[in-house]
Amino acid sequence: MTITSTSSDSTNHSTVHSSIHSTTTISREQWGSRFGYLMAIIGAMVGAGNIWRMPYVTGENGGGAFLIAYFVLLYLIAVPGLMGETALGRYTRQGLIGTFRKVYGNNRMVGLGLVILVFNIVLMSYYSSVVGWSIYYAYHALIGTFTQTGFDTAALWQSFSHNKALNVGMHTIAMLMVTGILLLGIKGGIERMAKWMMPILTIALIAIAIRGLTLPGAMAGLEFSFSPNWEYLARGQTWLAALGQALFSTGLGWGIALTYGSYLGRNDDIPLGGGIFTAVGNTSFGLLAVFAVFPIVFAFGISPTSGPELAFVALASAFGSMTGGYVWALLFFAGFFFANLTTALAITEVGVTTCKEERNIPRSRAVLMICVLIWLLGIPSAINADILGYLDFVLGNWGLPLATFIIMITIGWKFDANRLRILSLNRGSDLYIPSAWEATVRYQIPLIMLGIMAYFLFSNLGEAPLKTLSGLLVLMLMIPLCMGVMKRRLEGQDSQHVAGGGVS
Amino acid sequence: MSFAAIVVMVSSMLALWGVATLAMIYSMRQEDRKLILLKEQGDFEPFSPAAQRDIENWLARHPHGDEAQEMRELLECQRQAMQNNARHFYSWPSAGAERQ
Repeated sequence: MTITSTSSDSTNHSTVHSSIHSTTTISREQWGSRFGYLMAIIGAMVGAGNIWRMPYVTGENGGGAFLIAYFVLLYLIAVPGLMGETALGRYTRQGLIGTFRKVYGNNRMVGLGLVILVFNIVLMSYYSSVVGWSIYYAYHALIGTFTQTGFDTAALWQSFSHNKALNVGMHTIAMLMVTGILLLGIKGGIERMAKWMMPILTIALIAIAIRGLTLPGAMAGLEFSFSPNWEYLARGQTWLAALGQALFSTGLGWGIALTYGSYLGRNDDIPLGGGIFTAVGNTSFGLLAVFAVFPIVFAFGISPTSGPELAFVALASAFGSMTGGYVWALLFFAGFFFANLTTALAITEVGVTTCKEERNIPRSRAVLMICVLIWLLGIPSAINADILGYLDFVLGNWGLPLATFIIMITIGWKFDANRLRILSLNRGSDLYIPSAWEATVRYQIPLIMLGIMAYFLFSNLGEAPLKTLSGLLVLMLMIPLCMGVMKRRLEGQDSQHVAGGGVS
Repeated sequence: MSFAAIVVMVSSMLALWGVATLAMIYSMRQEDRKLILLKEQGDFEPFSPAAQRDIENWLARHPHGDEAQEMRELLECQRQAMQNNARHFYSWPSAGAERQ
């Protein structure tokens, strides 16, 4: 069979070589350029967590000692995992459910793909509120609110977080933006935006870092982040924090790399771009955030472990006190908004691609269906921060590790890691991946995911038993429920097929 | 800043920014090479010598079934590209190997 690309860009080599004889084929859009794909995938992975979490996790866990643990786990776990997920997407050239159908056959196991899809939709339902916060603050930076004399940023945060209508409004604006960009397609929407937004984010963070380093007392921030406390290397908590940052900030196993990989050309490289650059590039933004945020944090005596309030209260206040604060606030909050928006596009695209393929409808209709669904589901999180916190608690502790576990077991055991490495991972690759990669996908990552879920269960059961048990119950019920839904859908399709006389 | 903190900071910059920049530049250059080959000869071999050996070894171990057929198609695709194209994307050890 032959691939027929819908792309008409004459510079798109993926289009040209898509006529190469191959084994799995459907007509679909492709990335327009290598730079565009790299920016889109890095934009998907760089989000709010890179900017406010990476700096203080580094400082809290032994500085340099944490970074060593982090690098080891990044290269041993995250890089191989991302390679596998991207390779599977490129091989099947389909979204989540289509990929699971191709691997497991047309049976109830396809429901596992539906489980991951549901996690993505729920994740986006509350992440949209975070995008809304960043839009609101970027707007205030633009009109110069933070540089007004005697302006109280804590009061702004309080009034904003208690204003339900405003939060729903910002959630709505965020979803309208995501919808508008996704309607323009993979190349015309996601890729075009990422090609502008990621370089702007990089320049913004570099500029803020240079300004921050010139402030009196700024070096204490770098000392806090990088000073190596070797005792931490022997602590389990350091390695767990490093593992959490390496896995969750790279978005491994959520279906994003799989979906973006499905739009790659047959002979495009995966190991270097989809694996090493994605994981290391994503972390590079975390390091850039250390330079951009921590000198300012220490120069103004801000607590480095403030979480979201670090950006929305403490930093906003610090910008107001700095010379040229208008520019620095605008650069920071615009960059922060770009980071959140490109991640939101990726999470939503997982649902859009799958919906378009499964329902066999035009992309524009799939975008509208998924975005309206996410908008509706996101209203409770926009109104009540406790709901947002609960969903984040359940998904972060067990939902996303479970999704990663399912995808890695699918790659390693059901599809066969050896076959995937030969058929897809090393095809057109700029870097040959040897067979040692297979053990990481088969054993290391699934076992680590089980360990993480067990640890979070053990550590949360005492503190929040109701939250923990209810969340786990919902998650455990998701698997048989999704399998049942897929089984019923297949039975429905079979009966339609027989009624239509389609049995041959 | 302490000397140890400076060493960790510089090492981190090299391990992250250095590796990410090199990976991006090398990857984009390699894709440009593919593009040139596609424009000039319309095709190039999809597998490196080591990746081709993997296919051959896999087929030796699993000679039958649909999956073997899929591997054979890939190998055939590779061989045709090697025979039909004067210029190759990957480095091949000898002219003899190129004409496999």
